Amino acid sequence: MTPLVGGTTLLLVGAMLIRLTVTDAYQRYVRVGMGSWLLVAGVLLAILGSVAVVTALRGTKDEDHPGEEDHHSGEEEHDHEHGDRVGWLLLVPVLALLLVVPPALGSFGVDRSQVRAAPGTSAVFDPLPAAAEPRPMTLLEFDQRAFDRSGQSMQGIKLVLTGFVAKSADGNGFRIARYQIACCAADAVAAVARVSGATGAAPTRDAWFIVTGTFKGIGADGVPEFVASTVQQTPAPVDPYE
Amino acid sequence: MVSELPTKNRETGVRPPGSRRPRAAELALAPIAVLLILAVLARPQLVSLLDRPAVANWATVFVAVAVQALPFLVLGVTVSAVIAAFVSPATLSRVFPDRPVYAVPVAALAGAALPGCECGSVPIARRLMSRGVTPAAALTFLLSAPAINPVVLVATAVAFPGQPEMVAARFVASLIAAVAVGLAWTMIGRGDLLALATRPAAPSRHRPIQVFMQTAQHDFLSAGGYLVIGAGAAASLQTAVPRSVVDMFAQSPIFSVLALAVLAVVLALCSEADAFVAAGLKQFSLTARLAFLVVGPMVDVKLIALQAGTFGRAFTLRFAPLTFVCALGSASLVGWWML
Repeated sequence: MTPLVGGTTLLLVGAMLIRLTVTDAYQRYVRVGMGSWLLVAGVLLAILGSVAVVTALRGTKDEDHPGEEDHHSGEEEHDHEHGDRVGWLLLVPVLALLLVVPPALGSFGVDRSQVRAAPGTSAVFDPLPAAAEPRPMTLLEFDQRAFDRSGQSMQGIKLVLTGFVAKSADGNGFRIARYQIACCAADAVAAVARVSGATGAAPTRDAWFIVTGTFKGIGADGVPEFVASTVQQTPAPVDPYE
Repeated sequence: MVSELPTKNRETGVRPPGSRRPRAAELALAPIAVLLILAVLARPQLVSLLDRPAVANWATVFVAVAVQALPFLVLGVTVSAVIAAFVSPATLSRVFPDRPVYAVPVAALAGAALPGCECGSVPIARRLMSRGVTPAAALTFLLSAPAINPVVLVATAVAFPGQPEMVAARFVASLIAAVAVGLAWTMIGRGDLLALATRPAAPSRHRPIQVFMQTAQHDFLSAGGYLVIGAGAAASLQTAVPRSVVDMFAQSPIFSVLALAVLAVVLALCSEADAFVAAGLKQFSLTARLAFLVVGPMVDVKLIALQAGTFGRAFTLRFAPLTFVCALGSASLVGWWML
């Protein structure tokens, strides 16, 4: 890559990172806490790229090709090292994010990344206090409590769960899921629940729902059951992961 | 017309003299412009492709792996450029002894000081080599840094609450594996395989800040390109390999260790995140999950691509299997002893 092309590529990658952070779209791909690091990296790359572009456009009188100087002597013997030609590939994620912005993980991967909590190995929870208001809970906590002593700690408590439809027809209702990510979408694991009760018509896959109801045991296939009193469709949250 | 012809010939052949460069450089931007226009024209097709769940899943994982690795790559490239511009080989040789037998353990422990994941340590290791650090030590640093730094150990402790022996086992097993590879390389490694990376940089006539900028640009472009290849490979494997294949191996004690070691190579997780995934693989034994944590930061598809690009294919072809065997052996032994 010539300095101008290399600099432009750096500038584009930096701009992509900055754009991802300011639009919050990065939350589809990485943990929320990574945002500031992405911004810092984006700004640094943009500066580096700008300096390279400006230097190249000024057409400095150096004989050297900046950025390639420590490769000249080896080029004859090692033809696999064409410097940074592979840097062209950095434009692939840039273009992908500029043009299409891939969605957050959906129902496709739920079956392969489902949490397989074995009874007895998960955390132990104190019983929830009874309350008049339904209690919002993450799907992960719901699953963990379900596998902790058969869900004793939340028996009879009214809960509110939020997730997307992983299976539109599952038993007497449908299945919702939500991913937890530790670092990025590549390490996502899904918590799932089967919603029955007041479900109405079968929902479309990947639609988001807020369901209110109570826990009712674990199904034969290891999926915790949830009996809903109300089911309400909702737009996808900005941070789709828990 | 006539006067332009020689210029053109020179531009396609030998590098043009300084006065012609700006124009040639501007021409070189044309491919980027063409790419952008083509991509914009193809946008409807790209959008409709994403309606297929498998393609969308691939694209999301691909972007996620690339994006989350970029800040760490920037960190690694920055450290590498600082070493190139501001740290003299004499200073480095005081930190890293010349004799590999001493330098290797020092390098293994020095890895604890770099809070990052595996993408960052590749450019640093290469820079250490070109500044005169003995290759075996630089390779040991490459392997130990992403596995035993404080951030990764804390993440492991958080992912395995109430099981501090898991953190200790990860630290010990990774350290042993890194030292074993370093020592093995001093005995059976061939210097010519690393000729590219060990060749000392030509003395530069530029000011240090220029060297810094140029090194950072070059290192980022080449490592970033290979990162994109690795992210594509990881996304393809994650999308294509069904979970049932993984579960099949979980049943046998011996196969489970091997299966998770292979899974670590295939998934190419960030070493700061892999503990959370390992914690979720509850159907596997603790030793198998330790193998996952020791192998992952040292060998995975994304790293293999990065290393092949940085050190050369012939080197990586030998280095990756050697590392895999050492990491697997160390994890099995330490798991049997401590877990």
